[in-house]
Amino acid sequence: MLSLASDFTTRWHYRLVPYHVTGELLSKNWIDSAIPFLMLFASIAVFGSLIPNLFAVGNISDLSRTVGEYLLIGLGLTIVVIAGGIDLSVGSVFALANLLMLALGGPIGLPLWLAALAVLAVGGLVGLVNGVLVGYLRLRAFLTTLVMLIIVRAVVDTLLLSYSREIGSVEIAAPVWDFIAFGNVFGVSVSFIVAVVLAALAHIFLTRLRPGWHILAVGGSRRAAHNGGINVRRTVCMTYVLSGMLSSAAGIFYAARLASLGNDTGVGLEVTLLTAVVLGGTSLGGGRGSVFKTFLGVIIVVIITNSLIRLGVRSGASSLVLGTILLFAVAIDVRWLKNRHKILARAYVSPTYFALPPLQSAAANSGSPYAINAALSVAEPIGLAEVDGPEDVILDREGNLYCGSRDGNIQRFFAPDHKRHEIFAHIGGQTLGLAFDRDGNLLTCVGGMGLYKVTPQREVIKLSDETNRSLFSIVDDSRMRLADDLDIAADGRVFFSEATIRYAMHDWIIDALEGRGNGRIICYDPRDGSSRTVVHKRQFPNGICMVPDGESFLFAETWGCRISRYWFGGAKTGRIESVIHDLPGYPDNINRASDGAFWCGIIGMRAPAFDMAQRMPGFRRRMVSRIARDEWIYPNMNTGGVIKFDLAGKVVQSLWDVGGERHPQVTSIREHKGYLYLGGIFNNRIGKYRIPGADLNWTAHESYWSASI
Amino acid sequence: MLTCVTKSLAIAAMLAATAIATTLSASAEESTSPGPEYYSALKGKKVGFVPISMGFDLTQGWLAGMQRQAKELGYEIIVRDPNWSVESGIQAINSLIAEKPDLLIIQNNDDRSYNRLVKQAMAAGIPTIQVQQRVQTPSDAYIGPDWYDIGKKTATALAAKCGKGTSGKVAVVQGARAAPASILMLAGVEDTLKAIPEIQIVSSQAADWDTTKAYAIMSTVLKQHADLCGVVGFWDVADLGSAAAIREAGLKDKVTLVTSGGGKRDAACEKITAGDFSVYYSYNVAGQARDLNSAIKMLLQAKMKPGSAPFALLSPLTQITKENMSPTSCWMQAEIEQAGG
Repeated sequence: MLSLASDFTTRWHYRLVPYHVTGELLSKNWIDSAIPFLMLFASIAVFGSLIPNLFAVGNISDLSRTVGEYLLIGLGLTIVVIAGGIDLSVGSVFALANLLMLALGGPIGLPLWLAALAVLAVGGLVGLVNGVLVGYLRLRAFLTTLVMLIIVRAVVDTLLLSYSREIGSVEIAAPVWDFIAFGNVFGVSVSFIVAVVLAALAHIFLTRLRPGWHILAVGGSRRAAHNGGINVRRTVCMTYVLSGMLSSAAGIFYAARLASLGNDTGVGLEVTLLTAVVLGGTSLGGGRGSVFKTFLGVIIVVIITNSLIRLGVRSGASSLVLGTILLFAVAIDVRWLKNRHKILARAYVSPTYFALPPLQSAAANSGSPYAINAALSVAEPIGLAEVDGPEDVILDREGNLYCGSRDGNIQRFFAPDHKRHEIFAHIGGQTLGLAFDRDGNLLTCVGGMGLYKVTPQREVIKLSDETNRSLFSIVDDSRMRLADDLDIAADGRVFFSEATIRYAMHDWIIDALEGRGNGRIICYDPRDGSSRTVVHKRQFPNGICMVPDGESFLFAETWGCRISRYWFGGAKTGRIESVIHDLPGYPDNINRASDGAFWCGIIGMRAPAFDMAQRMPGFRRRMVSRIARDEWIYPNMNTGGVIKFDLAGKVVQSLWDVGGERHPQVTSIREHKGYLYLGGIFNNRIGKYRIPGADLNWTAHESYWSASI
Repeated sequence: MLTCVTKSLAIAAMLAATAIATTLSASAEESTSPGPEYYSALKGKKVGFVPISMGFDLTQGWLAGMQRQAKELGYEIIVRDPNWSVESGIQAINSLIAEKPDLLIIQNNDDRSYNRLVKQAMAAGIPTIQVQQRVQTPSDAYIGPDWYDIGKKTATALAAKCGKGTSGKVAVVQGARAAPASILMLAGVEDTLKAIPEIQIVSSQAADWDTTKAYAIMSTVLKQHADLCGVVGFWDVADLGSAAAIREAGLKDKVTLVTSGGGKRDAACEKITAGDFSVYYSYNVAGQARDLNSAIKMLLQAKMKPGSAPFALLSPLTQITKENMSPTSCWMQAEIEQAGG
């Protein structure tokens, strides 16, 4: 009684609490921005409530000037940091640009546009020196730019010492200049708008254009980028040039706003901006980061510094707070990057409660229809050691045998003896389910890619790799991760299973540990090329086989250990009925038999331990979070076979290889002219088994397509 | 019955008349005392103060003096500390303008950065006092020394010690290059020394009001010119560094160091006594605090349109040497807190 009651609570507990959401959220790329986002909200909430009109229109317009200038520098720094470098000279370049702009536009009297261009060029030049030293001569970025910080600062100081009186004597007076400095467009400053536009461009640059991808690639791994043919040195050099120019641009706006010749211009900016960049979530190690993150970081830093000033915090405290935040941000950056995949690995697998019906006996001589035997141990091997993971096999009209492989090929063995073979087509991914359509095209489900068609002329055509996105799914379920098996209805519609939307091909077996319906069945309609999910939330839907009535198909749910029937036409459209609900093993592909029954491959047998674990989600949670992957309990995958059943769910025959020498597990079976052809996803052969008493003329092709021709 | 009513009416009228008379005479009496208007003009007011930075003798001294008076008269001083950053200063002033205090006190870093803000503040109806350094725009009040005069006086004092019979070599340790105080003092020094042919300026560098920088500059200058006669420094706090360099070079008795500053005891009188500074010109922060307080009181009472009648209260300069020093030559923070302003 007690265990029943606790089963009941466990079941409802796991049904009602969406534990899988945590892992799915963590697996999103944008989750890196979650911490800065929270910090932004926290700082807005805290300071907004402490300071009455922090977010008054006037103050926002004032802050937008600072944000604009910071963002310009931040953009440059972000690009450098993403490429794996660091630029400490931004503050000095900023000061130099300020001074030069005031000098060129003031006493020297250049037209403002020319002066601005010249200043940008000087900034770019300083960046170029950095870039050549760091990129081409391979000096350390930190030291090089630190030295550059000092050198440029010294240049600024020297110029100030000699010319500050002359520069200070002439003020730039032009309406444009005043507009740049104090004009508002839509309530925000010109510098802010320029910075946002540049940020948008920088975003496109980094995410959509080749040089931007190169920067990310170089930051991610210099060596890999180099091996990939990217000019690493030039890419690195370019980031510093960009940084120098952007810092200069910020300096021009500062010059317009303040016309200040103060010797503190730009002092400490590198730390402020570095704080903003890292706080935004751009990693100091390179390769990870975005413009939007820096935007967040800059806003946080400006809000905090402005708030501290307005709160009347005394000397030094502000720098102390900023320094602490930088430390905090770097710590998070390091810890997060180091542990993200660990947390993800632990949190992603999300077991739930699943109770299987009582286990049917498969003991030899038990009288059970599943009673184990050695029938398949005599199956003749085809392509021994020449095939690699033939998940599905199929025969064409001429009796040629086709199979998929782990490396994305479709292999063809020529009739009649299937000794000679060739690569019929190469698709990529992992070729799984196979089916011929009326016109002799070979359709295949490719794990990691979707539904593909190979014409008799060997032309590979993508049919579908996308379906409708569910409204509340956090993982992008419009993508196909693991298209598994398919069959084609008389009207040409293709129904194919996607085993799971939460795991990719290489992790398929981990889906078993969840015990949740993560898979679905999708219908591809060749008439309009659309794909639509028709059956949701199934436990690893696998084999699909059309029932000859033309309005329904059978499908197997591997981890559910059941076979069901779905009606896509006729009076029962949309209904699902159970055919077999208590298989003793894990079913895979289903195909027609010559006598009107159906064959189903069994990839492994249920074991009491794993069945019990399925009813103990807490146990499995602890297991995945505490011990190594290799030690986890998995479903048994080393005894399998073939069963034959009819539409009423009666199992009429079963074939096993009890010694496991040739066919320890069977993922696919095809009957053809009295023989059964066997495939196995872990096997190195295709088996050919003579079925006693079978119809020697029966072929699937005729069964499918001759009646209606 | 009727007479009774009339009578009572008459009494009522009389009482009313007396009451009016009493009120009138009372107000006539009080109008001879400025008390009530004075207090009400100041009570509950808000005064914004944006120094270059808190935490050094000048700003601490001013604030202590101003706060003493504010406490007594019941107004509030809102301090926003930009910690030496012009950028932060701008944010601080902007935020204060938005909050509309009754008065704004700004200490400038230079003569340009806050120029527009001073105009904005006055345009927003906030009377504005600039302290120590001024931007081009004159505001309601300026309180600070005449820097050019300090330059002249310190140079003259130095010239007196480095005339004929000495090497005539002198060094100038400036403040921050862009700061008007430094620019004006330099002009004063240069104009004065130009007229004295036997004196030669061998070094003129900026220490950015910073002790360490002044120390570094002075050590180098002394290595280059071991026969240096004198130094004119622009601020006592920085010149503690210059003095240290001279002391370390073992030239304390040979090199004359003339400087100026706020006159705080440990930075001025004690150093003069110790022989670090030979001649010191003080603009007396305690006195400046008093001037600030006067300006605050005047502006808050006068309620004129900001900028309509700007005035300056230039801080009087006092020469302090070992010989003329008295117990009141310098001030201490605690004194201002207790009784200053």
